[in-house]
Formats: sequence, structure tokens, C-alpha cells
Amino acid sequence: MKNSCSSVSTLLEKYFDQEVTDEERFLVGAHLQDCPVCRDALKSMEELRTLMSAPVEEAVQKEDFPWVWQKIEREIRLQKKRTWWQSLRSWLDVTPLFNRKVWIPAVATVVVLLFISTEIILKKTPSYPDGSVVEYVESQSHNVMVYQLEEPKVTVIWLFEGPEEERTTT
Amino acid sequence: MAVRRSGGGTDNDMKKRVFLLTAFFVFSFFSFSTALAQVQVRMRVIQASNVGQNIDPSLKDVHKELGSLFSFTSYRLLREETLSLSPNQPVTITAHPGRFMEVNLVGLQRDAAKLRIRVIREGKDILDTQVRLSPGRTVLIGGPRHGEGVVIYALSARF
Repeated sequence: MKNSCSSVSTLLEKYFDQEVTDEERFLVGAHLQDCPVCRDALKSMEELRTLMSAPVEEAVQKEDFPWVWQKIEREIRLQKKRTWWQSLRSWLDVTPLFNRKVWIPAVATVVVLLFISTEIILKKTPSYPDGSVVEYVESQSHNVMVYQLEEPKVTVIWLFEGPEEERTTT
Repeated sequence: MAVRRSGGGTDNDMKKRVFLLTAFFVFSFFSFSTALAQVQVRMRVIQASNVGQNIDPSLKDVHKELGSLFSFTSYRLLREETLSLSPNQPVTITAHPGRFMEVNLVGLQRDAAKLRIRVIREGKDILDTQVRLSPGRTVLIGGPRHGEGVVIYALSARF
């Protein structure tokens, strides 16, 4: 298949920069063998590169890179140092997470834990309607009296212990 | 020259952040929940007797109540302790020589903590009771002899 100059010229720059595919390289190469115009164009590109690269290389050789780097370092140092609060905010910035799905398992874990824990830990039964404070009191060995006052709010549980029982413990 | 962004480091950093933030939230939640479920119980062990007329200065706030309820002339603070009670984690304290008191938070209501209190002597329960302690209320458990008087345990809750 014969390729026209117009179609090859669009590939010529890529061919020159070695950015073409194998197929494109084959097409352009085949065309260049038969087309002196395109060969000249390619040659012009090579000359232009040589023309440009020579002064650049010369300038690079003359350039004092340590001095340039010192200037960059100085500029970095001069930049305003971030406060701890700005650093923390930057670190805690979770907005990038919303673009990803990594937060889904994390949120799911937290929700499940909240659900389970709330049921277990924070389960609060409703208050009893009556005002009794003592729900039960038992003593197999002593008599017990319960006395409750509302003003002041005091409840007394009195254990009647005989003196002979005290002696056994002391 | 083509410039490609390498995402490896960013991904690792992101995973690290997610892990740390999740761990932080879980830890905070459990700490907060445990703190919410905790009840502070102030327990005072008071010796009441008719020997002398000494009122312990640290009992001034309850002296009036004690005076209106009992006919003792002397009140002395033997011990004071603030117990941090978590649900179903009984706390045992030596109330006075030979006796132990076990306090267990068995329930938490909107306005009251349900406490099971056992007074134990020589391994046997001499008193087993369950009370609902609300803020502002004092429960006095008294009667066990101590020296020339009796011991009164005063319990009040804060949560």
C-alpha cells in the first residue's frame, strides 16, 4: 500500500522522536525509501535538533548546578513552615478517601461495632415507676430493717447484729 | 518523555491513614462507652457510738441526716473511697476488720444505678441487698458492731 506524503507527514515527527509503533515505523520507513521530499523533511529535523542541542549542551556545561541547587534550597527554606495544626489537618484530610472505596469496610466496621456495643454497653432499662430504692434485702442470720426518707433522700438498711457476733470477728 | 505517577506510595499512605483513623474511632468509641457506663460511688465508712460527742469535720454534710435518723452522739469517719464501677465487675473492699463489702453495678437506668451490695463475714453473706441509687440519694447500711459503736456505710452515686 502506497502512503501519501500528507498521511506520513503526521507520523514523521513521531518517527523522528521514536514514538511510533512498529507498524507505523514500517510504513514510514517504506515511504521514506521512495519519497525524497519526506527524506528532506526528516533531514531538516535532524539538522534542527543538532542546531539546537549544541548551544544547549554548551550552556549546560557552563552552568553551575550546585549554585542553582543552593538557590532552590534557599527558596525551600524561605517557604513558610506549616504549623502543627495545618500539618494535622492535612494528614487528617479524608476527602481523597471519598474518591476510593477503601472507606467502605472501615465505615462498615465502625457501624457494626457501634450497633453491637450500644446494645450491650449502653442498654439502659426504664426507671421503675414506684419510688422504692431497695429492691430486695436478705440476711439469713440477722434481722434487717429498711427505712426510707424522701426529705432528705436517705435510705437506711439496718442490720441488727448482737454483741456476741462481733466478738467472733475480733 | 512520558511522566507517569506511581500510585504505590499513595495507596500505602492512604491505607495507613484509614487503618489509623478507624482504630482511633473504635478506641474512642469504646472509651466513651465505657466512661458512660461507669458509675462513681462514694463510700464512707463511719463509726457511730455514744462515746463522747465528736463529729468528724469531714462528715458535716451528712451530720444532719445522721442526727435526724440515729441517736448516736459521736460520728467518726473511718474510711472514704470512691469506687468506679463498671457493669458486672464487682469491687470488693475491706469495710472494716473481718468484714468485706462487695459492690456490683448490675444495671444502669436513666436516673439510677442498680447496685447489688453484699456484706460478707467469714466467707458468709450477712447481708445481701439490691438498691437503686440515684444522684442525690444516700443509702446508709448500718448495724455491724465496731468497737464501742456500730459501723454505718454511706453510699452515694455520681454518674
